[in-house]
Amino acid sequence: MSLHRLALRLRPTVKHARCLHTSGSIQQQEAVAAEPEPESLSVFRTQEKDPACHSEKHIGHFYTLPPAHVRPLFPNSLPWRYQQQTKTFNETCIMVRQPALEVISYLKKADYSQPAVRYLFYGLRGSGKTMSLCHALHYCYAQGWLVLHVPDAHQWVKNCKELLPSSYSSSRFDQPLQATTWLRNFKVTNEPFLSKIKTKERYMWTKRESTEAGSPLGELVDQGISRVKSSSDVVGAVMKELRLQSGQQGAGFHLVVAVDGVNALWGRSTIKKEDKTAVDPEELTLVYNLRKLMRNDWSGGAIITTLSQTGSLYAPKSAYLPQELLGERGFDSMDAFVPVSVPNYSEKEFESCYLYYMDRNWLQHPLSECLLAWLLCDER
Amino acid sequence: MALLGGRMFLSLGRSNISNLGLKQTTNRVTYATALSVNSSAGNKERGGRGSVGRRPRRDPGEPRTGKMPVDQDWASVYPSATPFRSNAVPLPVRMGYPVKGGVSPEKKGNLELVKIPNFLHLTPAAIKKHCEALKPFCTEWPSALDTDAKCDEHFPIKIQSSDYVSAGPSVRNPSARIVHLKVKLSSLNLDEHARKKMLKLVGERYCKDSDILSIKTDCCPLRQQNYEYAMYLLTVLYHESWKIEAWEAEKTAADMEEYSWEDSPSQKNILDTLLRMKVAGEGEEAEVREQLLARGEVQEYKDSVVRLKNEGANENSMLQYKEAVKKVLNV
Repeated sequence: MSLHRLALRLRPTVKHARCLHTSGSIQQQEAVAAEPEPESLSVFRTQEKDPACHSEKHIGHFYTLPPAHVRPLFPNSLPWRYQQQTKTFNETCIMVRQPALEVISYLKKADYSQPAVRYLFYGLRGSGKTMSLCHALHYCYAQGWLVLHVPDAHQWVKNCKELLPSSYSSSRFDQPLQATTWLRNFKVTNEPFLSKIKTKERYMWTKRESTEAGSPLGELVDQGISRVKSSSDVVGAVMKELRLQSGQQGAGFHLVVAVDGVNALWGRSTIKKEDKTAVDPEELTLVYNLRKLMRNDWSGGAIITTLSQTGSLYAPKSAYLPQELLGERGFDSMDAFVPVSVPNYSEKEFESCYLYYMDRNWLQHPLSECLLAWLLCDER
Repeated sequence: MALLGGRMFLSLGRSNISNLGLKQTTNRVTYATALSVNSSAGNKERGGRGSVGRRPRRDPGEPRTGKMPVDQDWASVYPSATPFRSNAVPLPVRMGYPVKGGVSPEKKGNLELVKIPNFLHLTPAAIKKHCEALKPFCTEWPSALDTDAKCDEHFPIKIQSSDYVSAGPSVRNPSARIVHLKVKLSSLNLDEHARKKMLKLVGERYCKDSDILSIKTDCCPLRQQNYEYAMYLLTVLYHESWKIEAWEAEKTAADMEEYSWEDSPSQKNILDTLLRMKVAGEGEEAEVREQLLARGEVQEYKDSVVRLKNEGANENSMLQYKEAVKKVLNV
């Protein structure tokens, strides 16, 4: 049934795409902005670029993120393969799907004087949790919120090249490299807010260096980027400031905390101390401060997270449900969260994706009908 | 000695016959001795084989199977375990590797049939006779115990052991010492604490679905010893689970068998959140907490969390949890 529909659509659109691209083939390698597509190709694309206006009728369609949003919002924080794809295709396209729309609808009708609600995307491997997170994040960014995005929390609990004992608390450990990377990305994303928000407290970094209360957030962030040794503490300070100020009257901003792979915060780490014992994630300053942010004792924003088994440590491959990946402690900390299930592609979404790849000439040869039927009936 | 006398008589007889004219006796004597001379001569040459003495060798007559009536009492032919006798078993049995181009050898003189164990002494008729013989020593099944339920009620402990039969030099089998004891915990008098302690003590031996505790004992060499040990174990488990030790007061949340929502982090979280949301009116903290706990949404949330923790995660319980959280947090 759908096979017949797809086959009908396939032949004219393939020819059309081929004509378009052969005419402009010389410029194909150059960076060219996407031309406005003619009507026959819009079965899988939508022109609506604002996530606030996405609704059920756009489900299954790809929408293009404006380049002006992509660079600040996702500086190196998209998944690696997806980044390669955007470079190849010259555009950042995300498919509008039900889970992301659900979370966006909750964000739209939430009351921001109440404590922050935690949303958790969970699903099988490769089902689209990170992309749903990015979609929701784009909505928040388009609405002018302050975005605190941790692209992969697992990076903070493994492969740490430098581990310093924390200057602030003797039982904890600092990770200067990860902290500075994060601060740089934070600076790029939230450029407009850095001068508007003022710190409420005074922070002493060393005997001679300190940041006074009332100085702009940008100064704090620059302090962290330039003085690498205290960058983890700077991250902690930034998080604390934002948490305190976000729900207050006259704050003027909403805060969205987006963490991908949140199960890393309560899992195990592979970082070893000097005496070869494993470091508990709680003993890492970055993780400790992020855990404080994940509590819902602040208001004026939302916490959107995803689970991730890929990249997780000591978690079995078959685990995908929140309770399995978060564990006892994680579940109790995150409790009263809204779990949002992200399923695999439906038939319609699969067709859309397939047509998109054909349109971008990524799939060079149209699939034979029997192979297509086999793929479609294997869809779960 | 008689032979020699016979010969000599012969020689004497011949010389005398012409004188006395006693021809008849001479003839008889000749016939009789002629036979014995032949056999004795043969004997002297071979030395030992063949029949010793003058006893004539008889042909074996018809085997007994030919004379057996069809309705005979078989139990008297084979009253006990005996090797196979081909002329006492009226069956045309063949056994062994077939001769080339032929069939298996017949039963007459067949060693294969003799070597193997046979149960010819245990035909159904023979067994019936045994049962009849044992009946005077048996008692009737009690008429009051006519259903399984009644048996379970009056005799909750079930003992099971196996007997092994094999044909060999010894009747002993070491597996016959194993004793299984099965009892339903509902038939034991245990309160909550005792039941939980009993479950912790027995561990794997308890089946939740059927509520049966099974103890298998095989450490002693004799079945009677194993049975007594099993009964001892049951007694000890029962009495120990009723005792409360001082260190049991240190039981932590991780030791609990089931998740209880009261005083759990989940309850604290939701109460804090609701307080912060200022959902309830102002008042004493304890009262406010009571009020919040009594709300329908909070009860639903509690049910979903308890289900999630006890049953483990699956799609349905996650959906239930999601709906409950949405209601509680007004999402």
